[in-house]
Amino acid sequence: MNHSSTSRQRVLDRIRAAAPGSAARERDYAALERPYTRTGSLTAETRIALMTERLREYDAGVTECASGELPAAVAAALAASGRKTFVAPAGLPSAWLAPGFEWKIDRDLSADQIEGVEGVVTACFCGIADSGTIVLHHSAAEGRRLVSLLPDWHLCILRATQIVETLPEYFARCPQPPGLVTWISGPSATADIEMTRIKGVHGPRFLQVIVVRD
Amino acid sequence: MSTSGYHPDLDPASAPPFPKAALPVLNNMQLRKNVAHAVDVIQAKRGRLVAEKTDWQQLRAAGAAIRDHALENLSFYLQQFEERCTAAGGVVHWAADAAEARRIILDLLRQEQADEVIKIKTMTSAEIQLNPYLESAGVKVFETDLAEIILQLGNDEPSHIVVPALHVNRGQVREIFARSMNRPDLSDDPQALTAAARSYLRQKFLTVPTAISGANFLIAETGGVAIVESEGNGRMCLTLPRALITVAGIEKVLPRFQDLEVMLQVLARSATGERMNPYTSLWTGVTPGDGPQRFHVVLLDNGRSSILKRETERQTLRCIRCAACMNSCPVYRQTGGHAYGSVYPGPIGAILTPQLTELHHAQSLPYASSLCGACYEVCPVKINIPEILIDLRAQVTDQERRQTRRWFDPMYLGMRVASFVFASAGRFHAAQRLGRIGMRLFTGKDGWIHSLPGMGAKWTQSRDLRGLPQQTFHEWWAARDKAAGKEAQ
Repeated sequence: MNHSSTSRQRVLDRIRAAAPGSAARERDYAALERPYTRTGSLTAETRIALMTERLREYDAGVTECASGELPAAVAAALAASGRKTFVAPAGLPSAWLAPGFEWKIDRDLSADQIEGVEGVVTACFCGIADSGTIVLHHSAAEGRRLVSLLPDWHLCILRATQIVETLPEYFARCPQPPGLVTWISGPSATADIEMTRIKGVHGPRFLQVIVVRD
Repeated sequence: MSTSGYHPDLDPASAPPFPKAALPVLNNMQLRKNVAHAVDVIQAKRGRLVAEKTDWQQLRAAGAAIRDHALENLSFYLQQFEERCTAAGGVVHWAADAAEARRIILDLLRQEQADEVIKIKTMTSAEIQLNPYLESAGVKVFETDLAEIILQLGNDEPSHIVVPALHVNRGQVREIFARSMNRPDLSDDPQALTAAARSYLRQKFLTVPTAISGANFLIAETGGVAIVESEGNGRMCLTLPRALITVAGIEKVLPRFQDLEVMLQVLARSATGERMNPYTSLWTGVTPGDGPQRFHVVLLDNGRSSILKRETERQTLRCIRCAACMNSCPVYRQTGGHAYGSVYPGPIGAILTPQLTELHHAQSLPYASSLCGACYEVCPVKINIPEILIDLRAQVTDQERRQTRRWFDPMYLGMRVASFVFASAGRFHAAQRLGRIGMRLFTGKDGWIHSLPGMGAKWTQSRDLRGLPQQTFHEWWAARDKAAGKEAQ
């Protein structure tokens, strides 16, 4: 667009006139002090306990299981949810698709098709204990963004080795900056009416996490 | 009809000055109660969660340093963002002012043949008064954030940048929803009200193919955009539509993805008193098979580049819009947000709004503060708001000095007379003698002045004034010298 390209020049000129920028920009950036806590100090056991505690404070449900028991744990969680229909990302390990439930595998399902499903099961990229945050990078096992958004019940499988203690430790685990990320800290909520936290507005109203001990 | 009984004007160009705009609020006890309750709750939660963070001050320092670095090199990082976002399939537009941003957005909506649009809460779009513009062009706008729905359906204006309907209580929300959603049976239980909003919007999310969002952060390194939210309405708008338009102030850019490790640790704690907000989304251009396949970013200047000029004022642009400053402000607590005559209220609004208008408007806002410093103390990126307030007051005064209409201002005339009198000892002593005679009329037997006429009444309305003494120190000293001289002879 023409008018936009001249505005681009105008805006950039105004910015440069007011703040010409540093000739040593990259060095300046590298020299920025980051004196805050970067690595955690908890043992693996207390880290898992902290993650569980923080998730529960958000009103998420958390259970634990050993690696070999995962398919049974998934089946138990699905049964306990009282729901029958579930959507699974295309890359979800087939061992997690517990029998006895109706599964829709997301191979380009439409929003309307996903909307009609009661729950979803996904893997995740990482868990951050300090803030009780689940991180999705939307790989094949974590699913498209839509899949973990429309169903009202979200079961997320989190391996104990995926749990970091601090937020900076998560960033250290990203070899390349990811292009698509969703950080989830508890079920959808709002405090817009008199600052009362109400669980469940538009996102999943129920978040269930299985921590898998390897 | 707004929920607060009058319709607030949040356009700095036409809004009344702060002391005048604050009056209807100060007389509205319900509104004051709502505001005080809300800020007290947020403040208490924030306090608890900040206290558990042992490296809070280090995070603040790092946050300030990262934001300063980004602002110092703003033109570089914006161009890097543009290049990377474009490479990822996004289209970047530049808007010098509000009118241009509105035009660009409407053009894009026309290209999309959109007659409806869903919106994530964005104060930047409120700043450019986007909704009324789109509505007048025939585009129906659906706000999707719960607070924004309350305001939109109640024909009200935002009074806070994080919790825009903080001045409205549950009974008032019930009334608005019952009327506009045709749900007379609705109760005032927040759970029921929230559920009503959920079902009201569900179909819109699934059918409206175009969305508008703001941005919390732009990532120069990747061309990515980040949005923090609570409800999931943001995720809906970012995922379901075919086209997405993001409007973002040029100051929102961060150099790298990793810089979020600081910002995301301080933002939610400061804003809502949570360890982390329920949802944060980051996306980069378009992703085949996932989310909108057409993505536009409108980079908005609208006065921001002029704030970069002065080192002190530049701090203003560090702001990450957490609203901790307004929650902690004793003035905001009494007046709420509408009195500030801008979509940016509270201490940050008091420095941002006048500067965005290059001091053409909102000149009263730098005075809407007691300079107590609470805002500076809680700011997660260490904006020294009191320092900037004082600097802006000086600029406002300088500006007034250059205006001819100053001669009609009794305050200015009074100051000129005072300056003339104080400049010479003779004139000063004469004025003292004259004052003593003149003031005798108003001074009571107890030596106090209880009531003055005219302008002086403003002072004596709420406090007494000491009467002028019969003898000044100077006179006493001179008389003493004279007496001593006589004795020595």
